[in-house]
Amino acid sequence: MAYSEKVIDHYNEPRNVGSLDKSDMNVGTGLVGAPECGDVMKLQIQVDPLTKEIVDAKFKTFGCGSAIASSSLATEWVKGKSIDEAMTIQNVEIVEELSLPPVKIHCSVLAEDAIKAAISDYKSRNKD
Amino acid sequence: MALEQSACQKCESVLVSRLFCFSCNALQTFPNEVDFFEVLGFPISFEIKSAELEERYQQLSLELHPDFYGSAPEAEKRLSESATAILNTAFNTLREPTSRADYLLHLLCKKQKLDERSLPDGFLGEMFFLQESLDELLESGNEAELSGMREDLNGRQKNIEADYSPLFKKFEDNPEDPEILQQLQTHLNAERYLRRLLDRIPAID
Repeated sequence: MAYSEKVIDHYNEPRNVGSLDKSDMNVGTGLVGAPECGDVMKLQIQVDPLTKEIVDAKFKTFGCGSAIASSSLATEWVKGKSIDEAMTIQNVEIVEELSLPPVKIHCSVLAEDAIKAAISDYKSRNKD
Repeated sequence: MALEQSACQKCESVLVSRLFCFSCNALQTFPNEVDFFEVLGFPISFEIKSAELEERYQQLSLELHPDFYGSAPEAEKRLSESATAILNTAFNTLREPTSRADYLLHLLCKKQKLDERSLPDGFLGEMFFLQESLDELLESGNEAELSGMREDLNGRQKNIEADYSPLFKKFEDNPEDPEILQQLQTHLNAERYLRRLLDRIPAID
């Protein structure tokens, strides 16, 4: 099975690889996994405490090319969005953008789960 | 668990394998959903002696081999091909403990809906940490530490494998307990993560 050009592009030049300071109150960390293939994905967001806008995002994924591309794309998409907007990102949008085949749809689900996990981690640490 | 014995479609002898009659040497037509234990003629159980499995496989593959059906009628020729294909898949699935456990779990849990993504508490975080450590070790090429990590992971994999048999036995005694199959699923999920890590460590000659 061939990867789409966009997957290969993200795989060769992943955007926003790295880590944010987990202990920073303005950082939310999402760690998710796909046991069916042994993938593990960490996605972090940095939120502006006043505007609730996501000002930075980083990821690190151990998995196949599609999982890496999905999380790389997810970090690009969440940057500049409010946390409420980012919460509405759906895995099907990732599938479309990257032209993922049916057997790789779970990779996009993983990326959506990672965004939601990062946001809920941020929210749980910043309860008013 | 009781094995439902089928009879030969030609001579009505009790069949060992659902694919072939050892009494009259007749190929048997078999349903698509035939299970791998029936294919190899073992009761549906995790307990299989690998020497016996290997021996049965050798016997059957010899009997079913398409080379021996070269001049047989077309239907028989095709049957020997499809029987050989399912025999190989069945053998490859049942010979290795983890894939056997996985297959058996799915046979047993038809009534029960399992959480297919369950993992032990804290396991995912640990796997992420180990993957990152492995990145560093691979970069530095420290062979002593790499083989240390391999040994550690192999040990954990063995520990998981050692649990399959007692868990399946426990399930036979308590078939109504929903926790046991879920526990097996969690074990299988964890094993897959360990395997992924092990796959990344190059073999040292």
